[in-house]
Amino acid sequence: MAAVDSRGEVLDVQALPLPYFLLRARVAAMEPAQPGQFVMVAGADRPEPYLRRAFSVYDQEPASDGSLVISLLGKVIGRGTEALAACVPGERIPVLGPLGTGFHSVADDASKSGRAALVAGGIGSAGLGLLAQALERARRSFDFFYGGRSAEDLVEAETFRRLSERTGGRLVRTTEDGSAGERGLITTPLEEGLRAGAGYTTVFTCGPHGLMAAVARIAAAGGVAGEAATETPMGCGYGACLGCAVTLKNGGYALCCRQGPVFRLDEVAW
Amino acid sequence: MSAGASSLRSPDLSTRVGPLRLQNPILTASGTFGYGLEFAERADLHRLGGLVTKGLSLEPLAGNPPVRIAETRGGMLNSIGLQNIGVDRFLSDVLPGLKDLPPKVVVNLFGYAQDEYVRLAERVDPYEGVAAVELNVSCPNVSKGGIEFGHDPEILSALVRRVRSATGKPIVVKLSPNVTSPQALGRAAKEGGADILSAVNTFVGMAIDTATMRPVLSTIRGGLSGPAIKPLALRIVFDVAREVDLPVIGIGGIETVDDVLEFLLAGASAVQVGTALFRDPRTAERLVDGLRERLRADGIPSVDSLIGAAARPE
Repeated sequence: MAAVDSRGEVLDVQALPLPYFLLRARVAAMEPAQPGQFVMVAGADRPEPYLRRAFSVYDQEPASDGSLVISLLGKVIGRGTEALAACVPGERIPVLGPLGTGFHSVADDASKSGRAALVAGGIGSAGLGLLAQALERARRSFDFFYGGRSAEDLVEAETFRRLSERTGGRLVRTTEDGSAGERGLITTPLEEGLRAGAGYTTVFTCGPHGLMAAVARIAAAGGVAGEAATETPMGCGYGACLGCAVTLKNGGYALCCRQGPVFRLDEVAW
Repeated sequence: MSAGASSLRSPDLSTRVGPLRLQNPILTASGTFGYGLEFAERADLHRLGGLVTKGLSLEPLAGNPPVRIAETRGGMLNSIGLQNIGVDRFLSDVLPGLKDLPPKVVVNLFGYAQDEYVRLAERVDPYEGVAAVELNVSCPNVSKGGIEFGHDPEILSALVRRVRSATGKPIVVKLSPNVTSPQALGRAAKEGGADILSAVNTFVGMAIDTATMRPVLSTIRGGLSGPAIKPLALRIVFDVAREVDLPVIGIGGIETVDDVLEFLLAGASAVQVGTALFRDPRTAERLVDGLRERLRADGIPSVDSLIGAAARPE
């Protein structure tokens, strides 16, 4: 599948509770992304920051004219995300994608049976949006574990509640300050669920490194396979700069942008 | 000269860089274009003047641990550590897909010892698809990498002499900016038998993460590239082109048509585009089009007429 470097026309930038935003852009001739794939984007042609930023395709809608409307769920953390959040409707921004290797287990027959656990930490939920939709379409039941520091970090909770409930699953929330769901880390209910026989055969995760590492440990202990959508600093997003190395357990490196961003939980040296 | 009359003709973008004849002066720099094929689906390779491969060693290399890159104002630091597939796999798997394209393929080589450069040059010598070899004697990111070769005139001269005896291909020597006098190294390369100089490699720099209070890069130091280094690189190209009697390929933060013109005027016979490709994979072909348009609009008949013009007496 060919990635296309194109211009996206910003349709709107929805300010979610700060510092989160949802940017929608219409991209001509872009193929739909597979769950877990990403795009490289920048806020118009500003000279700074210099490099584009990698964003998971959170949601997408093919239009009849061949264009694709993509939604990027973002959190302002620096100059790149600031520039994107500041985009105005009608602005044309560079969009290169879809890029990378998405979740494999979605298409994997063996994993289609059994229930799935999706584990998101904060803005990591952006990496699980298309996956949750794909599971819902495939009528595969999943629980969505959504953890954050406080309530506003669970910015898309209602979307994931709706999707998971349609599959007979549920939304489980935790926050470190107790402002939503149980107080604590999201790995606690995941572990409890596995122990209580929730029937998970696959765990998918996206979030801070520490969370994904913990999920990998928990999944291994429970004998459950899984995948993580990883993130590294990225120069180009398409395999040229070799800057986005992820260290594997076998001692080698893989490129986050090509072999990843999705890796098996048991192949990454967390 | 009437700008109006010449603007009707297409300007001549071709350039001669020593023994190399290029359809235009825009090449892609080593380490920024993969092996060429990564870009096949995103960029129109046919239109480039040439491409320089990712640095190749005798054996495949895994590269440095993460973190390997850090964005900076106007550019980035990298410490990739010369990750590459090895020269043999390049010759068997990649070169066949490139050799029939119009852009000249320049193979970037590096070793940890003189012998390794010699063996690399011998290995690529029989391949018609290889237009030239570029010796990386100035990578800042490997502990005992080519760097000492690029910092000592006598050693550099000896290295180039040995490679000269191993191949009939044109030899490009890529100069380090991290020395007091790049032109002295350029002269040493010429004495050794180099045909062309490329200038410059990345500038050694570093970044510190103020949250963790640790260096960002796993190797602490990395090579700075991007628009931030352009004036520094331009100065070196100007000096090297004036003081060393070899054609120069300019490298350093090139992103716009004006950047290309500046390097040509400073004395470069061609340029390599690098980090700008990460920002926009079509930068190189955009520059080919933009340069043609610019020369036509300004009534400049050829690239050749620009080379070194800024160094000539008024």
